[in-house]
Amino acid sequence: MAQRQRPLSGASASLRWAGRSRWAPGLGLAALTAVAGLGFGSLGALLWNAQGMHPAALWQEPWLAAVLRFTLWQATLSTLLAVGLAVPVALALARRPRFPGRGLLLRAMELSLVLPTLIGLFGLVAVHGRRGWAAPLWEWLVGSESSYLYGLSGIVLAHVFYNLPLAARLMLQALEAAPAAHWRLASQLGLTRTALWRTLEWPRLAPLLPRLAALVFTLCFTSFAIVMTLGGGPRSSTLEVALYQALKFDHDLALAALLALTQLTICLSLWLLALSRGGAPSLVVGHVALPAGGRWRRRDAPGVSRLTDGFWLTALVVLLPPPLAAVVLAGLAGLPELPRQASLWAAAARSLVMALGAAAGALALALSLLVGSRWLGARRHRAAALSMEGGGQLILVIPALVLGTGLFLLLRPTLGSGWQGYGLVVLVNAFMALPFAMQVIRGALPGLSAPEVRLADQFGIRGRVRLRWLVWPRLRRPLALALAYAMTLSLGDFSVIALFGSPSAPTLPMLLFQQLGGYRWQGAAATALLLLALVVLVFALLGLWTRHPPRYPWNRFAREERHARVP
Amino acid sequence: MSSKLHAAGASLAALLAAGPLQADQTLTVYTYDSFVSEWGPGPGIEEAFEARCGDCDLEFVALPGGVDILQRLRLEGEGSRADVVLGLDMNLMAEARALDLLAPHGAETGALDLPIDWDDDTFLPYDWGHFAFVYDTEQLDSPPGSFAELLEAPEDVKVILQDPRTSVTGQGLMLWIKKLYGDRAPEVWARLNERVLAVTNGWSQAYFSLFMNGEAPMVLSYATSPAYHMAVEETDRYQAAAFDEGHYLQVETAAMLRTTERPELARDFLAFILTPDFQRHIPLGNVMNPAIDLGDALPDVFDRLIAPESLTFSPEEVRAHRREWIREWLNASVR
Repeated sequence: MAQRQRPLSGASASLRWAGRSRWAPGLGLAALTAVAGLGFGSLGALLWNAQGMHPAALWQEPWLAAVLRFTLWQATLSTLLAVGLAVPVALALARRPRFPGRGLLLRAMELSLVLPTLIGLFGLVAVHGRRGWAAPLWEWLVGSESSYLYGLSGIVLAHVFYNLPLAARLMLQALEAAPAAHWRLASQLGLTRTALWRTLEWPRLAPLLPRLAALVFTLCFTSFAIVMTLGGGPRSSTLEVALYQALKFDHDLALAALLALTQLTICLSLWLLALSRGGAPSLVVGHVALPAGGRWRRRDAPGVSRLTDGFWLTALVVLLPPPLAAVVLAGLAGLPELPRQASLWAAAARSLVMALGAAAGALALALSLLVGSRWLGARRHRAAALSMEGGGQLILVIPALVLGTGLFLLLRPTLGSGWQGYGLVVLVNAFMALPFAMQVIRGALPGLSAPEVRLADQFGIRGRVRLRWLVWPRLRRPLALALAYAMTLSLGDFSVIALFGSPSAPTLPMLLFQQLGGYRWQGAAATALLLLALVVLVFALLGLWTRHPPRYPWNRFAREERHARVP
Repeated sequence: MSSKLHAAGASLAALLAAGPLQADQTLTVYTYDSFVSEWGPGPGIEEAFEARCGDCDLEFVALPGGVDILQRLRLEGEGSRADVVLGLDMNLMAEARALDLLAPHGAETGALDLPIDWDDDTFLPYDWGHFAFVYDTEQLDSPPGSFAELLEAPEDVKVILQDPRTSVTGQGLMLWIKKLYGDRAPEVWARLNERVLAVTNGWSQAYFSLFMNGEAPMVLSYATSPAYHMAVEETDRYQAAAFDEGHYLQVETAAMLRTTERPELARDFLAFILTPDFQRHIPLGNVMNPAIDLGDALPDVFDRLIAPESLTFSPEEVRAHRREWIREWLNASVR
């Protein structure tokens, strides 16, 4: 088996690590084929079934150009603010490893991403709307009626609400993954805030930023309900509205495919730019047994940064929890309705099972793509490596509507009769969660540092054993976080299930929409609360499961050693 | 307990016995989400129909909306699994007819009780309602009594609309304005837009996320919406504003497919639609007006709803002009 493989002479350590896994390129290729097949296959099916292609239609519609311009503008602005503001927030959270409510704040950050848009909008309106909680304050401060929720400012606010927590959470993960030895050194040298930023923080964040920005941009670019609801009219809408009309009302498959291609081109070129800029992830890899840098006294913690950190954390608290609280309050009011809903618990169970399936799929795909891309990268096939990694983002860029219609044309699933429809939903959800899973795992994947690999090689620790004892302990936490994100994303997803038509047994988000369609606000609010509770539960369970490093015998020594040093 | 066991055993036996037969007697009905939800009319109708036909099985397949049902038919063509489609409104009829997939319903329509005459032999109405602006009485004492008054309303009377490209109600308003104002529609849109707080993509966003949060005193919805609030939530807070010029009418219809392998069963189901056993689930289940006179079975709150004049275009007119009217609205609104 692995023992028979001889190390490649003269190659770098990382190359040998990737080169060892003969299955790496195969896995990566298989995953890429699946993603590309799904994405381009559905697009192709649309084009195939389209009659007559008139690309000129794209620029003959004057409003389309306006829509495109607006979409680009709002997405750029939202991305800059969401990612840009996430940096100081993440830094502050990393600098303050313990303050009351930090854990709660982190939980809230995980929630906002997966809130179904409709519920998120409800929360945002309840807080920031013309009659929202913040309205009296705004009137007192500004003197005019608060109407900032409608128009560009509202769109950006909503996008920041949705995406800043995700960005900050991932940045925090990157910061906390910094090797403890570095923090120890920084602490011993008494590095100042600027020096810390230059030597420790920025190098951790820099490789993350381009991809994160591309992800957030894609999410804002394709965000449909938020832009329309808060935009105040057709002046502000997205390509997806034109696509919806083309596909649903006019049955103009060709125009729909063209619009999808436009969106695909814009977003994918951005991704490629980001990937090529992102560079290799930091070569230094931390030791798993020593996580957060917070154990080491940071010279930049007291003083002025107390104030600035306080400011950023307060800003986060002002931004994030109130809309969530509004949703929870509405849900609590609807709790008496719960026992009357026969299908609720069954729907919740169904959703959980489907989400688990989708998340497992997303994780498997993400690992395959990353391993394959790394293998290619190690062999200096840079372009191929980039496209393999970029391929993972494909599904996010293809409008769900096009994906659904194309897939339907390809597969013609039997509707209504059980597992086929559900299976398809799980599959598509897995692909949609893929970019998030990749984002989380990516940073953790390089696995071992060159000296460690050398050492392991010398001791003949290879194959399964190396995977079990050296790689797995490092991957546990990122994998759990990725699983949690992927699960909750599919848990809250409604767009996919709506595409294929549903048998009468609903999932939780479907139930929610049915309730809204049937005037059952109270019940819908309670369902939303249950959905949120499930998300919290998933994150908490997976977090708990991987919170403590496994009890390897050598950890004990490491701990004792550490205790001996930390006063 | 033992009776439960007994029932379970009996249903299991029935399931086993009906195995091969069931495939022949399953009637697949494409409809929309809220119709089949547990509080919607679907479950009650299913039970009543299955009790009536004996050994048949009524299976609903839910799609997000009427437009999606039409699109699904288009994509599936003659290979469609559907025997009956339920949920195409008048504005989608011409397009659905053009697919050449539907067959005459053959049902007796004498019982029909619609605000307009109906003589279509393919599409069978099962409910109807008027589009209307629903207002919050706590925010608005005297609602506008006509479209003209709405356009003249004070600055702070904001309305929440839906996009005609993505929502049935939004399209209803577009047709309403076109019917009332014809060539002056763009000008009316421009004036109405000054009142608009938001144009959402769907009715749920408008009604739930914004209107129920008190963001605006008026929302585009149905004249029947207050019935739900009055009957189920027992509040008179939300009422529909009656406009002198009349309201645009929505009629929802069902039709059977030409390709169905169970034409008899499909016709039975269509005939069942105009019976009280089907119709009594409509008023509070679907929050629409029933298509027949239910007499005492009609909930009292329906007597308190507005009863405006009906405005309509023919389905063919809608089909011929919709694109052009949407562009007109768009240009008037983007300016």
